[in-house]
Amino acid sequence: MANLLARAFHGLNQVRRGLATVFGHSFREPITKEYPQIVPDITTNFRGRLALTVNPETGDHLCISCRQCERVCPDKCIEITSAKSAETGKLELIDFKIDHGLCMFCGLCTEVCPTYCIINTNDFELSEYAREDLIYDLKKLTLSQDESAFYFERKEMPIPKPKPAKAAPAAGAAAAAKPAAAAGAAAPAAASAAAPAAAGASAAKAEAPKAEEKKEEKKEEPKAEAPKAEEKKEEKKEEPKAEAPKAEEKKEEKKEEPKADSPAAEEKKD
Amino acid sequence: MISNGAEIGKLTLLSLVWLTIVFTAVWMATWAVGILLPMLLQNGLGERAMLINEILRFVTPVVSILVFIPINAMFMVLIERRALALFTVRKGPNIVGPDGYLQTAADAVKLLFKEDITPIGADAVMFTLAPIVFFAPSIFGAVPLLAAVTNNHALFQVLNLPTGIFYVLAAASVPVVALVMAGWSSNNKYSLVGGLRSAAQAISYEIPLVLSIITICVLAGTLDLVKITEQQAGGILNWNLLGGGALSGIDKYLAAMISGQPVGSILQASYPFSALSAVATGALICCTIISFWLYLTGACAEINRIPFDLPEAESELVSGYNTEYSGIKFAIFFLAEFTNLFVVSSIATVMFLGGGDNPIPVWILDKLPLVPQLVQALRDSFLVQTLHLINPETLFSTLWVILKVYSLVFFAILIRGTLPRFRIDQLMDFGWKRLIPLSLIVFVIVVFARGLVNCHG
Amino acid sequence: MATELVKTEDFRSDDLRTDDLRTDEMIINMGPQHPATHGVLRLILTLDGEKVKHVEPILGHLHRAQEWQGQNRTWFQYQALIDRVDYLSGMFTSWAMARSCEQLDGITVPPRAEYLRVMVAEMNRISSHLLWLGTYLIDLGAMFGFPFYPFREREKLLDLFEEISGQRMMFNYIRIGGVHRDPKAEWFQKVRKFTEEFPQRVDEYEAIVTENPIFLKRTKGVGILKQSVAKDYGVTGPCIRCSGIPLDLRRTKPYSVYPELKFDVITYDKEGDTWDRYMARILEMRQSNEIIKQCLDMIPAGEIMGKKQMAGMRIKAGEGFAAVESPRGIIGCYVTSTGGEKPFRFRWRNPSFCNLSVLSELLVGSPIADIMAIFGSIDVILPDVDR
Repeated sequence: MANLLARAFHGLNQVRRGLATVFGHSFREPITKEYPQIVPDITTNFRGRLALTVNPETGDHLCISCRQCERVCPDKCIEITSAKSAETGKLELIDFKIDHGLCMFCGLCTEVCPTYCIINTNDFELSEYAREDLIYDLKKLTLSQDESAFYFERKEMPIPKPKPAKAAPAAGAAAAAKPAAAAGAAAPAAASAAAPAAAGASAAKAEAPKAEEKKEEKKEEPKAEAPKAEEKKEEKKEEPKAEAPKAEEKKEEKKEEPKADSPAAEEKKD
Repeated sequence: MISNGAEIGKLTLLSLVWLTIVFTAVWMATWAVGILLPMLLQNGLGERAMLINEILRFVTPVVSILVFIPINAMFMVLIERRALALFTVRKGPNIVGPDGYLQTAADAVKLLFKEDITPIGADAVMFTLAPIVFFAPSIFGAVPLLAAVTNNHALFQVLNLPTGIFYVLAAASVPVVALVMAGWSSNNKYSLVGGLRSAAQAISYEIPLVLSIITICVLAGTLDLVKITEQQAGGILNWNLLGGGALSGIDKYLAAMISGQPVGSILQASYPFSALSAVATGALICCTIISFWLYLTGACAEINRIPFDLPEAESELVSGYNTEYSGIKFAIFFLAEFTNLFVVSSIATVMFLGGGDNPIPVWILDKLPLVPQLVQALRDSFLVQTLHLINPETLFSTLWVILKVYSLVFFAILIRGTLPRFRIDQLMDFGWKRLIPLSLIVFVIVVFARGLVNCHG
Repeated sequence: MATELVKTEDFRSDDLRTDDLRTDEMIINMGPQHPATHGVLRLILTLDGEKVKHVEPILGHLHRAQEWQGQNRTWFQYQALIDRVDYLSGMFTSWAMARSCEQLDGITVPPRAEYLRVMVAEMNRISSHLLWLGTYLIDLGAMFGFPFYPFREREKLLDLFEEISGQRMMFNYIRIGGVHRDPKAEWFQKVRKFTEEFPQRVDEYEAIVTENPIFLKRTKGVGILKQSVAKDYGVTGPCIRCSGIPLDLRRTKPYSVYPELKFDVITYDKEGDTWDRYMARILEMRQSNEIIKQCLDMIPAGEIMGKKQMAGMRIKAGEGFAAVESPRGIIGCYVTSTGGEKPFRFRWRNPSFCNLSVLSELLVGSPIADIMAIFGSIDVILPDVDR
């Protein structure tokens, strides 16, 4: 009997202790993170949506079409289209597709990339209404210059040298020097209206006699889209410009447009 | 130490706002049907007014209950979620409406508009009837409580029964049938097991529940809820929780001493056998406290709350008897569960915690500044004199009842946040081998001890 | 089902006249969508009233051909996949694979990497046990309050994992030859902060759960795993240690830097019941916390990779086997290489599979409610069972 009573009291006391502990928790700060309103602070190495960077200083696309990421991907979700330029004998990137519905975010592609081009961003909000929307193409994947700069700084990656410098040191130096001078001339034209810029682009294309057919096709698209969305066209134009190091003055002009417009494009995106 | 002041403050504000909404709505509905309508009819109808008044007199309590149950259940679900969030260091629902005030209202709307599915092979009639049978007792069973909790208000007197508590307990045991019905008719083995469990559980836990109530009835000498409440008036020392009137003598003695009247034979009258009476008083206090605990345990089992939620044990039986229910039928089950929680807490309040009585003894209350003047000012006001909108006695009594009932509900939530679930055989063991013998012992002690002390009865 | 329980053709009016009441067994299909089967286990139970008469577990709902995938991926690629086998303790599967390949290739892992491995593995052990603790209490019915507490601490650990490996559960942090990334100094400070406050949290759990009379009733003397049965079925991990066999690879067959660390094998073998298994895991969490503290003090500076890992890496031809002590038991990885880019054969020895096989022994004779108490106490991860 006494034993029974002692056990009963012990049990009740333990229940009381548990209740007191639970009740004591109500005086602590809640740990809830109200997610959609307050976006959590994500660590630098977080493996989120994949993206392609551009050179944060010059805006050159960093992909060299080496296909390392395509080969290493365990899910085979990366698809690169590139062609050999007859002009330079180098690979030119035509399209870059990543199926984020297939990707398992292992980050192996970012580890093998020799130019720090493909990176894991901190973006994790990927939901779409259709599976097809999860297949990102080059346009959707490429980050703007400012975003690239942000990630280069955050991930402590070495900022690459401008591309022309790699191909031909002398021309690269000239190209690096000229933009500053040409910027003043090109910027008003680009900023004034979309149409003149498109005209400029088509003119540039016409005067580049060595351009390949594929390249021409590629250029048609931005021209057609030009009245609709300027920023898109600008991103497209980067490719031909970067991969033709022997460009003349016209090429120089073209180079300026994305530079002048990119801050505006940034604002729109934001 | 308290780094969660903001959340606690929010919860308090939420409770105050919601309680105001709930009870204002109920009282306005009752007042409109019970007072305003007859007043208006008096002028218009003349001859037939008598008949209509008579009908309205009976309709009024039912209207008040019908208005009360859905709104109150919404509030209780909300406060349960917020309080559990508080215990688990979260924030709880705080998006819908201002700071989440409308979350449960939105949930209710969602449930009402969901598709109402009757599974293939289910017994459709029983399946539909089960939620109704489950819900109905909480309406008609709670009616006699109304008079007790409103300090015997004239509007509710009509449905007060001389055997009130008997009727309430009888009504409270009906829902078990509904659970078995739901389990059987769902055409689901888990539901069936859940329904059978609930039958076994309810039968075994009703006994300690009823025995603990009978203990109090023996002390009070009546089954009338209003009388039981009236006996306990006058401060915490008179409550049934503390010996069922065994301390009333001390209360009277202190009151007389403080007011300077002759104390004379007050103690002698209450405790005729000096030392023996003192022992008996101690025994009575212990027994009533144990009875209160027995009642809470039995009530927890009766309404299937954790740790006795075996009929709907989520991790074992998926969701027990309401696995197959959806839409409005599920909503009714849900509604009835929370209403039952409120009803058993109200019974506990009336039977043990003095109903609408304030815990401070009268001889202290009268000494407090401002209190009598405030009551008098309220009594003289336009609202009371002309419109009969508020009866001060009813108001204060209702406020105390709300406080006590929701304290018990809060305790139930705390238990829900802490304890794991019993196993069915252990539940039976605990019920039959521990609670029932204990309640019988308590009953016998009370029967003998009350002869030695002057109690309420 | 009502119609199945009483078959009309069997139920003739004659039966009603017989003195003995006819009873029938009920077959219940528990899972794969049952809320308490921790994934997709399916149990076909034959019940006599509420007592279990026969259990038939049906596996394979989550079979993903993990071993086959190993033969069709390069070494580098397969490493990223292997965390997914046991998603609650990914570090250990990676570690087992890394050790077996290192053994085959003759790579020596630098000491800093070994310490980092031990640290992250013990942190992973804590996080796995914390999740177990929360879900176990859900199984026992305390589903509204307590389970949030262990998850709160686990969240902190996952944040730490995210900082070093990039993801919260699929780490891919332990690589062949070392570890992937050298954490910064702040990370070590955060770990130290965690280890300092963690014991108090465990005290809180114990205050709520350990001596709670209902919890004791639910777990004491339930699901007793006898030593001989445990040996027969090849049970490992806390389950066998609670049956009185001090089998802990960290001590019995030491690897990495465990010989340098101070800790004891936890054998909590009062009865071998579910409460002992609960207690052993609580003690293991405290012990892991101590191990992390020791590692923080002892970790040397230096390299983190013994041999630089490349996408086209090759492993020398031969066979290797390595095992590590995971929160659930021994994870063994057997690998055959032909010296090519891809492995020839992988074979995994998963603790959950062996531990689960003992279930049908434990469950027979117990009531329905105990199924969850016993099944939960074994701590099985279904992807680990089915691979």
